[in-house]
Amino acid sequence: MLNINKSTDGSKLTVALEGRLDTNTSPDLEASLQESLDGVTELVLDLEKLDYISSAGLRVLLAAHKMMSKQGSMKVVHVNTTVMEIFEITGFLDILTVE
Amino acid sequence: MQEVNGRFEDNKLLINLSGRIDSNNSHQAEDAIRQLIQEKTAVPIVIDAENLEYISSAGLRILLHLKKTNPDLMIINVKTDVYDILEMTGFTEMMTVEKAYRVISVEGCEEIGRGANGTIYRIDDDNIVKTFHDANALEEIRHEREVARTALVLGVPTAISYDVVRVGDSYGSVFELLNARSFSKILSDEPDKLDWCVHEYVELLKKIHGIVVPEGQFPDQRETAVKWAQFMQDYLPEETGKKLLKLVEDVPQDNHMIHGDYHTKNLQLQGDEVLLIDMDTLAVGHPIFELGSMFNAFVGFSELDHSVVKEFQGFDYETSTKFWHKVLAAYLGTKNEDRIREVEDKARIIGYTRLIRRSIRRNGLNDPERKKEIDHWTEELIDLVGKTDTLLFAGNELEIDAKSENLPKVISFIEERMDEAGFSPKAITVVTLAAEEIFVNIASYAYEKGNGKAKIRVEMEGDPVTAVITFIDQGIPFDPMAKEDPDVSLPAEERTVGGLGIFMTKKLVDDMSYEYKDGENILKLVKKLS
Repeated sequence: MLNINKSTDGSKLTVALEGRLDTNTSPDLEASLQESLDGVTELVLDLEKLDYISSAGLRVLLAAHKMMSKQGSMKVVHVNTTVMEIFEITGFLDILTVE
Repeated sequence: MQEVNGRFEDNKLLINLSGRIDSNNSHQAEDAIRQLIQEKTAVPIVIDAENLEYISSAGLRILLHLKKTNPDLMIINVKTDVYDILEMTGFTEMMTVEKAYRVISVEGCEEIGRGANGTIYRIDDDNIVKTFHDANALEEIRHEREVARTALVLGVPTAISYDVVRVGDSYGSVFELLNARSFSKILSDEPDKLDWCVHEYVELLKKIHGIVVPEGQFPDQRETAVKWAQFMQDYLPEETGKKLLKLVEDVPQDNHMIHGDYHTKNLQLQGDEVLLIDMDTLAVGHPIFELGSMFNAFVGFSELDHSVVKEFQGFDYETSTKFWHKVLAAYLGTKNEDRIREVEDKARIIGYTRLIRRSIRRNGLNDPERKKEIDHWTEELIDLVGKTDTLLFAGNELEIDAKSENLPKVISFIEERMDEAGFSPKAITVVTLAAEEIFVNIASYAYEKGNGKAKIRVEMEGDPVTAVITFIDQGIPFDPMAKEDPDVSLPAEERTVGGLGIFMTKKLVDDMSYEYKDGENILKLVKKLS
């Protein structure tokens, strides 16, 4: 299960994820981002309550990162240790802006 | 020269044939037999071939003619040379042909095992004989030899009988077993080897339960258990009876091998090899049926009278229950007492059902001592059936359709097994992450037509514990490890999206290996506890 909570502040979009971002749930996030990124210049992904991310989830983050680098910036915040370890192993730590 | 004599015995016409039967004398022989038959019409004919040296095709035709008019024709005491002719020409399949058997005595021999159908004796250092209680044991011997041979081919280490002998009024099959010792004897003589015995015993049990038997080769244990449950309807409260039958009927058909009488006397240590004997109960079915009979062997039979197990196995009741408990824990790969008890309760349902039926059939309900046992088992059974909704249990293996919708089931199966074994939430997350990559790969690519099965096995090994998670599919051969690792130092814009999963998987676990064997992709992930 994955809960996606979006809040907008001008051209800043904050997306808080809760639960698991895996093969079955990542299409939901992908669709949700696609419909909301128009005109967004600052994307913040809050992963505080994300328990789990699989490579399918990473693919969605990568696609979002590519898109945002054309129209603004993206950062990932409140990453817990499990997810941080996965970012490290995969080299995503060097690609994404993680706070 | 050739002679034909007849005598009437036990309502059968016994015809002695001797010497040679060939084209020179077959006509006379057939005439002589016809004459004997005319005198004793309408009785079964048994040909005693004790003194028959040779039979040619002309002689075989006589047998064919006789078989036409007497479908139950039997030929007994056949010498090896003649038997070879009958076997080569297919006669052994057309009619009952019994070899001349070597006669042996088991007087004074050490008894090393006793099962439902027979007793096993050691006749010398290198050989054992399994004698059958039933006088018509040849059919059972043939059955056992056939299933044992099938089991051996499928990879079960067992001894195959090489000879059939006469023992008293019945028959026995002879096996070579060089200086072997049963696990019962080891447990009795060397209590400090208990853990070693548990380990070997469970390894072999898991191996047997992992073997798929081609259809129709072995009897189906579920059908047998349904019959037990049907029998019980007259001896249980209506509601309990109905529920018991439903519980058994709801166990799905399963084509994996079970031994059926898997106790410590039937495991023999020969050198450093563990051999399984007493194969006549081999069947296919869900492992719960095996666990039911194991419960009886170690606990059920001796629950009220603890001397039973001592007499049968040689070790005491305390050792027996301890062994059973450790075996169950190791078999389930868990130290979680609740889970062990849950599975034990399911096994007890099968066990008590069998014990009650057996006792009623053997002794009826009039023997007060037996009645006391039956009442105890019945009381337990009513309680257990009342609180049980399925006889199925999660083993350490999950077989599931290889579809990505099933991912949550795969993940929670692995999570539960690892949690029970004491892994940290972090280690579990890391492993399930790896497992997801593997399972989704199988679901997406293994089967061209899109439907097939995947098996996931979680095994705990060693101390401190190491989890070994094995993924098996029968799809197209594919070695994910052969893929090149992606270049993770590339900037995001240049990075491709695929190929990341397997690379990540490798980094997440302590070891990962792949092999393609017997039509199966076998992928193993290893994660250490620390």
